[in-house]
Amino acid sequence: MGRYILRRVLQAVGTLFLVMVVLHLLTTFAIQLNGNPALAFFGEHEPSASQLAAVEKRYGLDDPCYDQVGNPCAGPFVDRLVAYAQGDFGTNLRGRAVTEIVAQSAPHTLRLFVVVTFTWLTIGMVLGSVAARWRGRPADHGIRFTTVLVDALPVFVLLLLYKFVVTVPVHQWARSEFGSESWPALWFRPSFDADHPWATVLIPGILLGVSGSAAFVRLVRASQLESYSGEHVRTARSKGLPERYVVLHHVVRNSSIPVVTAVGLVFTEALAGAVVTEGLMNINGMGGVLWGAVKGSDVSLVLGVVTLLAVVTVVVMIVVDVLYAALDPRIRYE
Amino acid sequence: MSEAPARTLMSDAWRSLRFRPDVIVAAVVLVFFLVMAAFPGLFTSTSPRRCVIGDSRLAPQGFGAEHPFGTDSFGCDLLAQLVHGARPSLLLAFVVVGIALVIGITLGVLAAYYLGWVDKLVTRVIEVLLVIPLLLAAMLLLSLFQGVDVGSGTLGTILLPALVLTMFAWMGYARYVRASVLEVKNHDFVTAARALGASDLRIMTRHLLPNAIGPVTALVPTSIAGVIGAEAVLSFLGIGVRPPAISWGLMISNGSEWVTGGHPHLLLYPLACLVVTVLALVVLGDALRDALDPRLAA
Repeated sequence: MGRYILRRVLQAVGTLFLVMVVLHLLTTFAIQLNGNPALAFFGEHEPSASQLAAVEKRYGLDDPCYDQVGNPCAGPFVDRLVAYAQGDFGTNLRGRAVTEIVAQSAPHTLRLFVVVTFTWLTIGMVLGSVAARWRGRPADHGIRFTTVLVDALPVFVLLLLYKFVVTVPVHQWARSEFGSESWPALWFRPSFDADHPWATVLIPGILLGVSGSAAFVRLVRASQLESYSGEHVRTARSKGLPERYVVLHHVVRNSSIPVVTAVGLVFTEALAGAVVTEGLMNINGMGGVLWGAVKGSDVSLVLGVVTLLAVVTVVVMIVVDVLYAALDPRIRYE
Repeated sequence: MSEAPARTLMSDAWRSLRFRPDVIVAAVVLVFFLVMAAFPGLFTSTSPRRCVIGDSRLAPQGFGAEHPFGTDSFGCDLLAQLVHGARPSLLLAFVVVGIALVIGITLGVLAAYYLGWVDKLVTRVIEVLLVIPLLLAAMLLLSLFQGVDVGSGTLGTILLPALVLTMFAWMGYARYVRASVLEVKNHDFVTAARALGASDLRIMTRHLLPNAIGPVTALVPTSIAGVIGAEAVLSFLGIGVRPPAISWGLMISNGSEWVTGGHPHLLLYPLACLVVTVLALVVLGDALRDALDPRLAA
C-alpha cells in the first residue's frame, strides 16, 4: 500500500509539472499574440515607458521572449517554477500575494465543498437505492426523469433563477416574519455574509450539489442493480436472511465503492461549478476570487489561482485513488 | 427461410428511438431552434439592431403587436434578439463539439491501434488536460485574449471561445474511443482483414471505427448542451461572445440586472430558450445512451 501511494504521488508530481508547462505555454503564446498584459494595470491610463517597464519587471514580463511569437520562454518558466517551489504564486494587480488571498478565501470554498459533498452523497445514495430497489416501477421512472431534468439545469441557470427570482421576495418575507438576524432570513440572503459563513453558504452549496448529483444517482443505481443480480445476494437470500438485511449489508454497502470514484470524476466539474456559484453569490472563496479577477482582467491573479486549483485537483485525484484501493480489496496495488 | 436483414447497433438504436414520445418532442424542439439559428428571417422581420431608446423595457405585448416579447433596456425588440441570438450560441456549440469529436476520435483510434509511444503520449496529454477544468482554462485564456480584435462576423465573434473550448473538450471522446478500439481490435474479423492484406488506414476506418463509435455518439448531445451552458457563463463574465453580437448568454447577462427592477422577462425569456434547448439535448443524450447500451436500460 505504501509503495502504491508513493508511486501515485510521483506520477502526480509529473502530471502537475506538465500541467504547469501547458499553462505556461498557453499564457506565453497568448501574451505574445495579444500584447502586454501589464497594460491592464493602468486601466484607461496611457503609461509612460518607464512606468510600463517598472510594472513589467514586477510581474516578470520584462523578458524579451514575450515579444517573439513562438518562443517558448523557457527562462521565465524556470524562474516561475522556482518561485512556486518557494511558495510564491505571484501577486495581484494591487500587489497582494496570491497565496495570501487564497489562504484567506480557502475556508469559504471548503465550507461550500462540505455542503456540496454531503448533498451529493445523500441524494445519490437515497435516490439511487430507491430507483434500484423498485426498478421499472413509477419510483424508478420518476427518479430517472428527475436526473434528466437536473442535468438540463446547469448550475449557472439554477443560481441565476435562485438569486434574481427566488431570494429577493423570500428574503424579504423571512426578514419581516422572523427578523433580519433569524436563520431563515440568513439562509435566503441574496449574497454571502462573512459574519454568518455557514448559513449563507448552505443553499448555494445545496444547489451546486443538486446540479452534480445526477451522475451519483445513475452510478449508485447501476451498481446496485448489478449487486441485486449477483451471486452473493442470491446466496444471502437463500440462507434465509431477511430482505432488509440483504439490501443494507450486501447491496447498499457494496455500492459505496463506485461512489468514491464518482467524487473524483465529478470533482473538476464541481470546481468549475464552485467558481460560478461563488462568483454569482459573492462568496469570497477561491472561485469568487477567480471570478472577480477575470472580471477585472487581473491576469496574474487568474494564473495563480488556476495553478493552485490544478494542484488541488491532482491531490484530490490521488486521495480518491488511494481510498478506492483501500475500500476495494480486489484492487491490487502494483 | 428468408435471411434477416443485417442489423447494426445504429439501426437498432434508431429503431428503439424513433417511436419514443420524449425523443420526438426533443427532436422537434431542437429542429425548431436550429431552423431559428439558420433562418432568423422566418421568425421575425424586426432587426435586432433597430433600437429606440424611448421604447426601452416595454412589457411583453403578445403576438401581433409591434414588440411581442417587449423590449430590452436599450429599446431593442426582445423577440428579434432571441431569434438572432440563437445562431452564435448554437453555432459555437456545434463547432466545438464537431471539431473536438474529430480530434478525439482520431487520437483515440491512433493511440489504441498503434499502442507504444503514440499511446503513451496521447494518454499523458489527456491526463494533463483533464486536470484543468474546461471552464477555468477558458477563463484564463479568454481573459488573456480580451483585447484581441477578431472581426465582427458571426465566425469572428465565436472564434476565440470556440478555439479555447475545443482545446479542452476532446479528451472525453478520445478516452472512450481508445477504450472501445482496444476492446474491438483483437477480434477475429480484424485479424482476418489484416490477413487479407488490408492497410492500417483501411482497418482503422472500415473495421475499428464503426464498431468503436457507439458509446461516443451518446456523449454528443450532452456535450453540446454543456458548451451552450459554458457559453452563457463566459458571456456573463464578458469574455465569451462579444457585445456587438447577440447571444443568449449575453441577453441573460444583461437581463439579470433588471429582474429586481420589475422586468423579469428580460432574464426569463432568454433563460427559457437556453433551458429548453439544453433539456432537449439532454433528453436525446439520455435516450441515445439507453439505446446504445442495453445493459443500462430499465
